[in-house]
Amino acid sequence: MEASDKEQEGKIWAIGGGKGGTGKSFIVSSIGSYLASKGKNVVLVDVDIGGANLHSFLGINRPKKSLTDFFENGTPLSKLALKIDGENMYLISGDIHSLASDSIRFTQKLKLFRHIMKFNKQYVLIDLGSGSHNNTIDTFLIADKMIVVLEPEIIAVENLYHFIKNALFRKLKMLLRDYGFKEIVEHMWEKREKYKIENLRQLIDCLKSSFSYIGDILDKELAEFKINLILNKVRSTQDVLIGASIKSIFLKYLGLNAQFVGYIEYDDTIWRAVRRREPFMFNYATTRCGREIEVLTENILQGKEIKLLRS
Amino acid sequence: MSREEYKKYFDVLELGPDASLLEVRNAYARLKKLYSADSEMLSPIADEFPQKQREEILKQIEEAYKNLLGLLKSEQDRMLRPEKPLTSEDIQKRKEDTAAYSGQRLRQIREKMGIALFDVALDTKIRMELLQNIELEKFDSLPPEVYLKGHISNYASYLLLDAKKVVDDYLRRYRAWRSSREEE
Repeated sequence: MEASDKEQEGKIWAIGGGKGGTGKSFIVSSIGSYLASKGKNVVLVDVDIGGANLHSFLGINRPKKSLTDFFENGTPLSKLALKIDGENMYLISGDIHSLASDSIRFTQKLKLFRHIMKFNKQYVLIDLGSGSHNNTIDTFLIADKMIVVLEPEIIAVENLYHFIKNALFRKLKMLLRDYGFKEIVEHMWEKREKYKIENLRQLIDCLKSSFSYIGDILDKELAEFKINLILNKVRSTQDVLIGASIKSIFLKYLGLNAQFVGYIEYDDTIWRAVRRREPFMFNYATTRCGREIEVLTENILQGKEIKLLRS
Repeated sequence: MSREEYKKYFDVLELGPDASLLEVRNAYARLKKLYSADSEMLSPIADEFPQKQREEILKQIEEAYKNLLGLLKSEQDRMLRPEKPLTSEDIQKRKEDTAAYSGQRLRQIREKMGIALFDVALDTKIRMELLQNIELEKFDSLPPEVYLKGHISNYASYLLLDAKKVVDDYLRRYRAWRSSREEE
């Protein structure tokens, strides 16, 4: 692997984005297959509370044991992880009923991820499912690569914005809690009318100007808060430009540096493969879509962006 | 000023400092539309971000575009035009370049190229005397137009000139002389 030298550290990849049906599970399974085909050890973790169905994209039945067994009975991961036939990849399934509420504490989740890392896999891909619940957001925030999937329609843009805003706000709170400022963030946000704060950017600016010595910390942390953006179900060049537009809005409105790592063109082959329960990358790696998955995965690995012909 | 000094403007248009004029134009058009009042992409967050902020972003985009356009256009001009400003000699030269071809101009061009009339005669198989008469515009000593046309075209091609234009220009002078003589 020539790319391995240039690879940045990045073991846990979390894939979310707010709206359901944008193709997160498809993308998780495809990225996983691609990494596995390159000789990496991969574990896919399905924590989709709306419906853990990652197994369908891999052409297997719902695993009998799930994370519920890990949390409630202490079942070791080696007994939960299901080996995917013909690939260097394992699946750990979530459980719809137990994870539907926020009953799993964040510390329990941290324990889970510690165990997954100990399970000695190089890449842990987490399918977050839809929604912007705190539980989902916290998992998103501990990832080394934060990945969001968007489809070119206005509802997905709205949900993504909500998702990112929540993530940034929780990140801020966590960060400042470590410096003993947690209450101040909450106070400022609650009394935002008094402080003339209309949005998150203004909150950050207000924090910076009120406490100059945390300005540097915030600048540094926000520079490292990198969102990897994937655009799915693209049908035209105009659709591709939506990726560039989202990047621009995040930068100009939130001060966030999002990376537009790639897009996947709408392709009937995909849903036919899903319907037939065929692992897509296993059978269609050489199609246009397969190559698009390859490009975006390499971009995530190398911290690069997609090159657009028209800027 | 270097491109580095314009970095903040390239940043506003979300471009690298090696962007071309075309890329700057495209980015400007795209961002201007994105941050316009009726932007579809901004509608989900319009209530959070005041109009003032959007207008401020638009202002920065306009400013960046204006400055980068100036920079890139002057860069382009420098590539297309000579570094030094034109002297009166250059202007005279350009006038000559665009002027009509006459016998005198053909001689000037030939002499500038360092070609003796003798050599022209040798290579074009046109008699020396005829060549001389062409250059001196001794119209009454020249052969009939149909032959003259071929000789001029030949000579012009030899001097690497646009043969058709030379023939047209020269014959215009020749005909003017002939018609004035007929009036007499």
